[in-house]
Amino acid sequence: MNITKQLSEIHQSGVPYIIYKSQKGFDLYTDFSKKIILNNKNIKSFLSKKNKKKLKNTDLFIGFFGYELLNNLINIKVPKQKNLNFPKGIFYKPEKKIKLSNNFKYPKKNFVAGNFQINMNKKNYTRIFSKFKKKIKRGETYQIKICTKYKTKSKINPLDFFSRLSNSNLAPEAFMIKDNNYSIISCSPENLITKKGVDISTKPIAGTVKKTKNLNKLKALKYFRKNLKETKEHNMIVDMERNDLSRICKVGSVKLSKQKIVEEYKDLFHYVSLIKGKLKKNINNFDIIKAMMPGGSVIGCPKINTLNLLNNQEKENRNIYTGSFGYIKFNGDMRFNIIIRSILNFKNISEISVASGVVVDSNVNHEFNENFLKAKALIDLFK
Amino acid sequence: MIYVIDHNDSFTHNVVHQFALFDKVEYDNYDKINENKIKQASTIIFSPGPGNPKNYPITSQIYKKYKGKKKIIGICLGFQHILFCEGAKIIEQKKIYHGFQSNIKVITNNSLFNKGKIFKVGRYHSLKLKEPFKSNNFEITMRCLNSKVAMAFENKKEKIYGFQFHPESFLTINGNLLIKKILSA
Repeated sequence: MNITKQLSEIHQSGVPYIIYKSQKGFDLYTDFSKKIILNNKNIKSFLSKKNKKKLKNTDLFIGFFGYELLNNLINIKVPKQKNLNFPKGIFYKPEKKIKLSNNFKYPKKNFVAGNFQINMNKKNYTRIFSKFKKKIKRGETYQIKICTKYKTKSKINPLDFFSRLSNSNLAPEAFMIKDNNYSIISCSPENLITKKGVDISTKPIAGTVKKTKNLNKLKALKYFRKNLKETKEHNMIVDMERNDLSRICKVGSVKLSKQKIVEEYKDLFHYVSLIKGKLKKNINNFDIIKAMMPGGSVIGCPKINTLNLLNNQEKENRNIYTGSFGYIKFNGDMRFNIIIRSILNFKNISEISVASGVVVDSNVNHEFNENFLKAKALIDLFK
Repeated sequence: MIYVIDHNDSFTHNVVHQFALFDKVEYDNYDKINENKIKQASTIIFSPGPGNPKNYPITSQIYKKYKGKKKIIGICLGFQHILFCEGAKIIEQKKIYHGFQSNIKVITNNSLFNKGKIFKVGRYHSLKLKEPFKSNNFEITMRCLNSKVAMAFENKKEKIYGFQFHPESFLTINGNLLIKKILSA
């Protein structure tokens, strides 16, 4: 049976499934034999549990940790916020894996959607922005990312959306989840954890510029190097990620393996670093998740104080946004991304969250617009 | 053994790894200090961290208790903290340096480092030492080449040292050498 037909059949049969970008194409996971809904109580046992040695390519748990769960994991409380009561984290045990090519096709479907509404007007954004700038001047945070949310009522076919998104933007950490009562569509570009045996790495992105006719890769690198604000933001994230890896890695093993390089995507250039380390003995999955999440590049720095500042400011739960999606194999190997550039569809509402950084020399208009641009790429799918 | 006191920072483990190249290192957050470990330590490190020294009274108590008895090294907030305990005022600066690489210079003959030597270092600080500052046995030994802001002090007599910059940052060239020299002093 050809793959496109098989994909259509899986989708139409109504069973839950997950698609995750692989090196050469996409992997589809389905036939879930277990579904674990995570909370503060069961997350530790979920992550500490030893599973039988990996035998099959489906011997793994795949799913996501939401933002609030990851905060709670490092003893940070999130005050009462406007909440959809969306699960804090869900993992699935698949029994079937199918490989898809990069340009899998799915016919465009009809959908219903209203106009997206932002949850914060520019006046409020400016007020928070100024408040955080003062905190930076006082040294309470060095960099902080304000999240804004766009929402609309909708009824969509997630596979249609994911197929169109992937055709226009083939992101290295793209994924989609379709379950009975929700779906997530994401073109995340950012890998937070790649772990194989004792080797672990993280690949933070700080700095993005849109491709134009005149801007090639070399010029993009020059642009980033000249831009002091982007450079400083990036430096901060590199030191923070070195720190987080150092919590769990052997002394002297944490190395900056690629320093401030440019990666080229269909429409964008990203300013990226790659940091590697070798795990200490007796480090388990729980230690790794706790050390690395929530991923620093989408929060700000230093992590704990900045999370507290954000949580006291934000009126709405981030849900999946700035959480992590990925898998943990039974042999302990894992891969996780940072959930950004994503659409959460739940209770007939689609929500898109975006954030951009405040550092001391940020400009409020620029950041507000950047947030909008980031959201627009996803909002345009609803046209 | 070196005991690192963490101030909830996101760079402390870089500090821990750097010092661990030279000696056994233990660490705890400032609100979970282990008295036994402190007693066993030969050197106490005050980590970087957010905010102002006055937000961390426990660290001030430790400083006062062990000053002159153990080697004490402060980094960034830790640098400010030691000076704060010595009566200095820590103030906001006009230009803020977060993730910034600067050239700094050794300005005195009394330093462990050669006068005139220039280091390339990483900086993450909103606040700075208000000058003039005077305290017995303390001397400012390094300054930013451009802004002249105080970047290091040494108190050789009581073996107290501080860096306003981050020797553990990837932006600091030869940071390990700086630490090695201070530890063997």
